[in-house]
Amino acid sequence: MSPELRSAGDPSADRGWRGARPAGTRPPDATRARARRLSITPYLFLFPGIALFAVAVLYPILQAVHMSLFDWKIVGSATSEFLGLENYRRAFADEHFWLALGNTAFYAVATIIPQIVIGLAVALLLHRRSPVQPFLRVLYYLPVVTSWVVVSLLFRFLFADQGLVNFVLGTETSWLADRWTGMLAISALGVWKGIGWSMMIFLAALQGVPRSLLEAAAMDGAGPWQRFRVVTLPAIWAALAFVTIMLVIGGFNVFISVYLMTGGGPAGRTDVLLTYMYEQAFGSLEFGYGAAIAVILTALVLCLSLIQLRMFRDRNGGFAE
Amino acid sequence: MTRITRAAAAAAVGSVLAIAIGGCSAAGGVPQGTEDDPITITFWGSYGNGGNSAQQEVLDKTLIPSFEESHPGVEVKYVDVPYDDLLQKLTTSAAGDELPDLVRADLGWVPRFADLGVLVPLSDVMDDFDELADATYPGVLATNLFDGKYYGLPLDTNTRVQITEPGALATAGVDTPPATFEEFVALGEALEGTGVTLFADGGLGAWNIMPWIWSGGGDIADEDLTASTGVLDSDENIATIQMLVDLFDSGQVSSGIIGNEGAVSTSEGLPNGDYATILDGPWMTGIWADQFPGFEPVYSPVPAGPGGSISVVGGEDIVLTASSQHQEAALEFIRFTQSEEFQLALVPTGQLTVVEALGPKQVELVPGLEVFTAQLETAKNRLAITQGAEVDTILNEELTPAFEGTVSVREALSAAAARIDELLAG
Repeated sequence: MSPELRSAGDPSADRGWRGARPAGTRPPDATRARARRLSITPYLFLFPGIALFAVAVLYPILQAVHMSLFDWKIVGSATSEFLGLENYRRAFADEHFWLALGNTAFYAVATIIPQIVIGLAVALLLHRRSPVQPFLRVLYYLPVVTSWVVVSLLFRFLFADQGLVNFVLGTETSWLADRWTGMLAISALGVWKGIGWSMMIFLAALQGVPRSLLEAAAMDGAGPWQRFRVVTLPAIWAALAFVTIMLVIGGFNVFISVYLMTGGGPAGRTDVLLTYMYEQAFGSLEFGYGAAIAVILTALVLCLSLIQLRMFRDRNGGFAE
Repeated sequence: MTRITRAAAAAAVGSVLAIAIGGCSAAGGVPQGTEDDPITITFWGSYGNGGNSAQQEVLDKTLIPSFEESHPGVEVKYVDVPYDDLLQKLTTSAAGDELPDLVRADLGWVPRFADLGVLVPLSDVMDDFDELADATYPGVLATNLFDGKYYGLPLDTNTRVQITEPGALATAGVDTPPATFEEFVALGEALEGTGVTLFADGGLGAWNIMPWIWSGGGDIADEDLTASTGVLDSDENIATIQMLVDLFDSGQVSSGIIGNEGAVSTSEGLPNGDYATILDGPWMTGIWADQFPGFEPVYSPVPAGPGGSISVVGGEDIVLTASSQHQEAALEFIRFTQSEEFQLALVPTGQLTVVEALGPKQVELVPGLEVFTAQLETAKNRLAITQGAEVDTILNEELTPAFEGTVSVREALSAAAARIDELLAG
């Protein structure tokens, strides 16, 4: 527990603040007992959350790390052979793993930037008061709450050879028959579905931009772009950091849309890390190898998140502290 | 002791006794359960898959009630699981020791689950196994063999034949579906510029490509399953696959064959007149009857190449899980599935019988199945190894670039053969 937290809830610390307790004297037993009792209170509040995290997140991660070191047999009675780091070595030597990682990175880049830019633009537009504003907010947020399964199937039909996209563009492209056009179609779904979410976070953050500062800037002759860049952007920096980090995590965890739109095809060329992991685990029963891919993905996302936290903190003088 | 705890104690003792008695009766071969206190055996399958409710209805409304009537004290609970989810559900259930008593397993899955140790070898536990097994088609029975023991019995079988859209034949100015590779290619030429695609399929896995390879006079591995190199990359196979690649290049084969999920599906494209021919199974009749009532498909054997007209065996086996608590009753149900009553009841719904002697009755019952029954006589099994899914992945991954023109057919087949060699060696 941090010293600040302890002194905040500790009456004896309060007395010390006033200088009532002589230096070097021991507090009475009753006071110490009360202090001890109070000091466990925050832990009790934290316990349910930590317990849930331990059971639902930490344990599966540790179990995956454990499995990744074995030729894991799914049936409890069978003996799993210990392989050490062999599954990891195999992953790094596996061309298809790198292809899947490349596709995952493509998806992350292709979806995160548009979601931030368009989400912020829509949030700025909807921030202004207008009678249709609540309706438009709901409209933009609707894709976020619709089922991934439903919209993935919908996009598969949109991007089909005889689908609406080809009809509107007047093209005859087989979008889902090629690696990059397939990834583009999957990314289009990711962007369409995610804009509403980032818009909502930015809208909330925009409420906190001090109107007085914007007015003062306007009085000083700043144009709309300057006001946005100098006043609004710094004020929503924390929200921007949050959205970026969450989108990177989400982008690297893409699965349902790929699984349903292309199934990783043609010939596995639109596989992302999670579809490849799923195929290895449930298609080939290579649970140890699948777990190793999952652990690598977890480590990658963790590293990227830490780097981003550091970048945003440096830029803003310690927002993430 | 309070009344509640006494009642709980009595219930606990009763449960222990019931389990003990149940265990004794199972060991002694005495029928389990009574009419008042029946036991339930659970059976998982995917009869209702693909929008074909006819099969599940026959099972639920006719067959299971009939079995329950002749076996008082036994109830059968059938759980329908979509085919695409069944393998995952079985895998996770095997891990959690939550498998049902009986499973209608795709014939490619039996070696895989037998290898996991979750199935009971029927050839060890059924006195009458040989008698039942001998009555079935040898090719289908062989799919149950793993490590010298049979882990299941054939439940139903099927094969792929050529299905043609009559309008496409009229457009091309021919009367009959192509009977040979040459006629197949000629039909493609006749259809050029008409907007009708000669052929469509949903992938390049063994189920899709093996009828072409066998009919072309080739194979995927040697008879002893020791090597694929020298067999899969043979001149016969190069010629066969080159024929398909050339047709693909000229737009006569749909891009669905290389896994384009955006291509019109075979089940829609054929009745709509987008495709002239597909290879598919007898269940399509039921699906089209519901969705395209006016469509009258023409069934004919797979076009014959230098090797003849040879298709691929499909179907399902019935297996008993090692975790079953009611093995005697479950074995009784397995025996029931081999009966004439069970086998013929499902024939009108597109399930071909696995009992050889019932073949003529099947054709009498549904004359439309004649082509399938005849095709089945020469149809072959896919590789009988536990890694069937990997074989499909390899074929798809290596052959797709040949269709896209980035590698030659010879290179593609050699690469696939080398990877299959590794599986066979393992």
